[in-house]
Amino acid sequence: MAKIKIYTTPTCPYCEMAKEYFQENNVGYEEYNVAEDDKARDEMIEKSQQMGVPVIDIDGKIIIGFNKPEIEKALKYV
Amino acid sequence: MYDLIILGGGPAGAAAGVFAARKKIKTLLVTESFGGQSVIAAEIRNFIGFKSISGIELAKKLKEHLADQENIEIKDGVRVSKIEKSGTGFSVLTSQGESFETKTILIALGSRYRRLNVSGEDKFEGKGVFYCSTCDAPLMKGKTAGVIGGGNSGFGAAADLLPYASKIYVLEYSDILKADQITQEKIKNSGKAEIITMAEVSEISGGEFVSGLKYKDRRSGEVKEIKLDGVFVAIGYQPNSDLVKDLVELNPRGEIIINHQTQKTSCEGIWAAGDITDVLYKQINIAIGDATKAVLNIYEYLNKK
Repeated sequence: MAKIKIYTTPTCPYCEMAKEYFQENNVGYEEYNVAEDDKARDEMIEKSQQMGVPVIDIDGKIIIGFNKPEIEKALKYV
Repeated sequence: MYDLIILGGGPAGAAAGVFAARKKIKTLLVTESFGGQSVIAAEIRNFIGFKSISGIELAKKLKEHLADQENIEIKDGVRVSKIEKSGTGFSVLTSQGESFETKTILIALGSRYRRLNVSGEDKFEGKGVFYCSTCDAPLMKGKTAGVIGGGNSGFGAAADLLPYASKIYVLEYSDILKADQITQEKIKNSGKAEIITMAEVSEISGGEFVSGLKYKDRRSGEVKEIKLDGVFVAIGYQPNSDLVKDLVELNPRGEIIINHQTQKTSCEGIWAAGDITDVLYKQINIAIGDATKAVLNIYEYLNKK
């Protein structure tokens, strides 16, 4: 099973869509709210070199935004 | 061969899908996602029948309503890469290499954020230049943010920033703020905001991330600089018409010119509805009504053939 981290803000619709996608496909994930959690925010910026959410980390593969084809690709190769 | 292919899954595309299914028109709907650009709205308060609904909830409702129809095929998460005229109609090609034949097409691809087209905008996208304030405003916690645009989307972005940013600049090109009074007052009374009109943004600068912007004061001609950590661009929308620019006639804004009675475009067999068209008012309610008109007209067209 892939280890998935998703960095989100509470109001971001694309974050919501990404989480729903994982739920629909029965894929487990850990969520980090970067609006509250400064440590997670810094970690997200370091990993993705940018500040936009969502950022999804699938076993070290960093995907910026709810990019469904990229997510599917990353899940298939793990 | 389909009777109709609908491009887009926003309010217009969804409405068209429901009407086409109920008319038993053999239909395929192709979309990258549901909800269109309204999905990023934190709160929609003028969608009739709902006192308040979030963009994401609306997207779900549209998808549910479509999924409830029996007579429609849906390709979700698919981008159309090309449309070609073929013998009796059109071929619609997807980025995944599939091809579908159809007699008619309804274009409901909506619009996307308009870019500023200034130096630094591309370089710093995501690194301090943002387009989705509901997404990224929380990243400005304790920071200074600038909003470009003094319309409803600009002041909306400023409102999204209020709980987080320590200081907010709103820059407007003209000397008029077009945002609704109620939102303007909220921002002005916050004590955090500075509103600058007649400001022409010329450059976004920084090192790894944004650290400032330059603008020309259009009254004095003087170039001024603001130190800030983020820029939210909210200067309206541009239609997603690149795909069809060689097929149908566009106006100088890039909007598809339609017959406002029937939603027909300049190309026989192609209709368009919603924000991609030259309809004067871009509203969810209007997009839904116009898509309905289009499908009823397509139904008549197919029956006459």
